[in-house]
Order: sequence, then structure tokens, then C-alpha cells
Amino acid sequence: MYIDLMLNIGMILLKIAVVIGVALLHVAYATYWERKVIGHMQVRLGPIEVGPHGLLQPIADGVKLFFKEDIIPANADKPLFYIAPVIFFVSTMTALSVLPFFEGFVIADINIGLLFLFAMSSLGAYGIIISGWSSNSKYAFLGGLRSASQVISYEIAMGMSLVGVMIMAGSLNLSDIVKAQQQYPTGMFAVPQFLGFFIFTVSALAETNRLPFDLPEAESELVAGYFTEYSGFRFALFFLGEYTGMLVMSSISAICFLGGWTVPQFITGWFPFLLQLPAWFWVLVFLAKVYAFMFFYYWVRATLPRYRYDQLMSIGWKMLIPLALLNIVVTAMVKILL
Amino acid sequence: MTAAKLIRAIFFIEILKGLALTFKTMFTPAVTRRYPKVKRPVQPGFRGLHALAKDENGKMKCVGCGLCGAYCPSKCIYIYTSDGKDHKKVVDRYEIEVLRCIYCGFCVEACPFGAITLSEHYEYSDYSREPFYMTKDKLLSNWDKHFAGEKGKRYFRDFWRPKSEDFIGYEGQAMFKGIKNEK
Repeated sequence: MYIDLMLNIGMILLKIAVVIGVALLHVAYATYWERKVIGHMQVRLGPIEVGPHGLLQPIADGVKLFFKEDIIPANADKPLFYIAPVIFFVSTMTALSVLPFFEGFVIADINIGLLFLFAMSSLGAYGIIISGWSSNSKYAFLGGLRSASQVISYEIAMGMSLVGVMIMAGSLNLSDIVKAQQQYPTGMFAVPQFLGFFIFTVSALAETNRLPFDLPEAESELVAGYFTEYSGFRFALFFLGEYTGMLVMSSISAICFLGGWTVPQFITGWFPFLLQLPAWFWVLVFLAKVYAFMFFYYWVRATLPRYRYDQLMSIGWKMLIPLALLNIVVTAMVKILL
Repeated sequence: MTAAKLIRAIFFIEILKGLALTFKTMFTPAVTRRYPKVKRPVQPGFRGLHALAKDENGKMKCVGCGLCGAYCPSKCIYIYTSDGKDHKKVVDRYEIEVLRCIYCGFCVEACPFGAITLSEHYEYSDYSREPFYMTKDKLLSNWDKHFAGEKGKRYFRDFWRPKSEDFIGYEGQAMFKGIKNEK
């Protein structure tokens, strides 16, 4: 009895260690990859001097951030200033715990997985607002306010875009959503839920404060936005949290719209040997989908300029939310009729 | 709103065009020059670090007339001369404060003997101010370093020799000694 329990706990801890380790490594190299992609899109080389093709650049950056002086503004609200990056980082890392990476590999296989993800991404907004408030700086405060209103506005559209997925899958459990997509001939919800997929993609950009909706950290207006006053490792926590947030959003997109770790059934029909492969092999399929979505993030960043603040709000409230409502109505009607 | 405009608005045609452009650009070779490894060739007549020219016998060409120092807009050339053997002028010190120099090249134009030159050398950053205070010895060794060989000779001939050598006066014109009257 006790041995069983201990084994269970040990197993879960091992899984957590693996997920956090792999996720942090991915985050480190996501920055490298982003700089490379954007560099080449701007006819530059990107990081290239540190190690072969600049591959050690993220490690050099990490070491540099770790040894940097930690400056705290004299008039900052100290306890809140300390806790804000931790809230942000922890909430994004916690979101990783409900993501199924391949068949049977998920730290917490809970029935409200999707709701949990929403909750965590909203909680992350608290870290941003608190950091903006506690820094006692105009730039940081404006960045925090902008981020708060932006995250709240786009959370609605994002949540509603996923309601269509919930209706089609009949579950909030992420593993069940992936399995439900296997029942469809196309193998992914992105085809029947194209409207939801579009809304999700746009609001995911806004939710992670990425271009073209990066108003909370608009460099040209707000220096660095809500983390202007942060330096050293506290800054690194925000940075890591942001890129983990990107990873989580890409994973949600892969799981809910692109079929997670599975491939459409007609492909396994053509190549039956794929079914013989071990379960861990499918994590590669999952990662390929996540990377495709992350590449899209970088691609959009290299292409589009920043929206104006009123444009951002009108896109969110006047376009995405009505479209999401329409999507819910149509999906529900089709579900009832069929 | 016309139908074409509506379609363009719904499918984000402009944004898709932009995305296609950046995607295409990603596969074009980068224009970055990796500087310390790949150096940009200097343009002809580049005005870099100063050097004092030597003649065929390895002696300094400078006679200490002081025209370069008088002409220098930032007044960064210091020349000290003294009376030598047989009342010959001896250049004791010839010093240039490189940090104040604006690289206009007026000193070169002022020099009647082609004694002061500007080399193609431009990588001489350092951690303190002293190395930028050029003494006579340093300037002479700059000549050995940066005007050595055929390349340096050609560079000097093309850009820094005295302009008076090209001057041809009309017949009967009063001339300084040493200037050719006809070619």
C-alpha cells in the first residue's frame, strides 16, 4: 500500500522533473530559434559567434542574466516586486502540468484540463499587473494596465473559440479532446472549426503579448513595458514565463485544433507500420505541430507592425467575440442536427 | 465596400502577402559581414592612421618646416626643431595627437615633400590614451608597417605624394627650384 503510494509519487515527481527540464531547455532554444528566424527574415544572420552557428548563445545569455546585478528601485513596493515574477513564472509553468505530450504521458490528467489552462493564463496576468504596479514607474504601470485590459479582452474570445472544440469533443479533458479528433476523417478540429482556429490563433498572439499585439511591452513607447524595472534573474523569470506561455499556447493549439500527438487516420491507413511504433515516438509528431505554431509566432513578429491600442480593442470586442459567438451557435446547431 | 475589397479584408490578403515576402526573404543569403573575420576592403584614398614617409635611403623625408602643423584645423601636430651641424635644421620631435585628428588630410596637402601620409590602417583601438599619442619613432615605424612593399608604394604614389610634382608651368613662368617646367 505505502510502497504503491511512494512509487506513484516518485513517478509523478520524475515526470515533473522531465517536463520542467525539457520545457526550460525548449524555452532557452526557442529564443535562439526566434532570433535566427527573425534574423534571416531581415537578411541578417542572427546569433552565430557563440559556439557552432551560435548554438551556445542561450546558455551564454542564461549565465549572463544569472550573474547580473539585481537592481530594485528605491520606491518600489518590495514584497509585491519580489512576488510578481514568481506568480507569472509559476502560473505559466503550472499550465504545463495538464498538457498531454503523448498517449498516457501527462502529469495531471484532470477532467477540467482546458479550464485549468485558462485559469493559469489569467493568473499570469496578475503577475504582470502586480509587477507594473509595484515597480513605481510610469512605463511599467502603463504596461501593466495595458496588459490587464488586453488579456481580459482576449481571454473571452479565446475561451469562446475553444467552446466549439468542447462541443465537438464533448469533454474538457485534453487527452479526450485529442482522441475525439481521431473520429473525424480529417483527424484535426482545425478543419471543421476553422473559424475557432482563426480566432484562437489571433487571440493567442494577444494573450502572450506577442507582436502585432505586444502593446504591454511596446519598446518604442514603454521602454520594456511592465518589466522595465526588473533586472538580472527576476527579468529572466519574466522572460522564461513569456516563452513558456508561448509554448503552452502552441501546445493548446496543437492539442485542440491540430490533433495533438496523433496523425489523421487516412495517413495511418496508407502507412500501417506507423501503428506499430512505440507511444513515445508520437511526441515527435506533437512537437512538430507545436514548432509549426511557434514558427508562425516568429513569422508574424518579423512581418507585422504593432497595432494601435484602440485597433487592438476593436478587433477583440467587435470582431473576434461576435465571430466566436457565431462559431458556437453554428457548431451547436450542427451538433444537435447531426 | 465592393466585393473585391470585402474578400481582401476577410482573407487578410495584404497580411498574407507580407507573410509570403518575409518567408521568401528567409531563404535569401544574409548580407551581414562578420567583421573581425571578414574585413571590408578599404576604398581608394582612405585616410587612416598617420605615418611619416622615408626616402630611398631610409631617412625621414620631413624637414620640419611646420606647414602641416600650421595648416592643421584641430592643431594636433606638434613639431620641435633645433639647430644641428652646419646650421642644418634637425627635427627633434614630431608628434600627432591622433585622438584629436579629424582625418581631413590637409597636412598631407600642405606638405611640400610628401613626408606626412595617411595609411589604410584603421584598426588601432586601445584601452588607454597613451598609445594614441604618436611620437616620431612611432610614426616612422608606421611607415615601415603600412607602406611596406609594392602595395604601399603604389598607395603612396596614387594618393599622398606632393601635388607639386604634377604641376607644370607655362613657358617662362617663374618657378621654384626643382619643379619641372615641361614634361
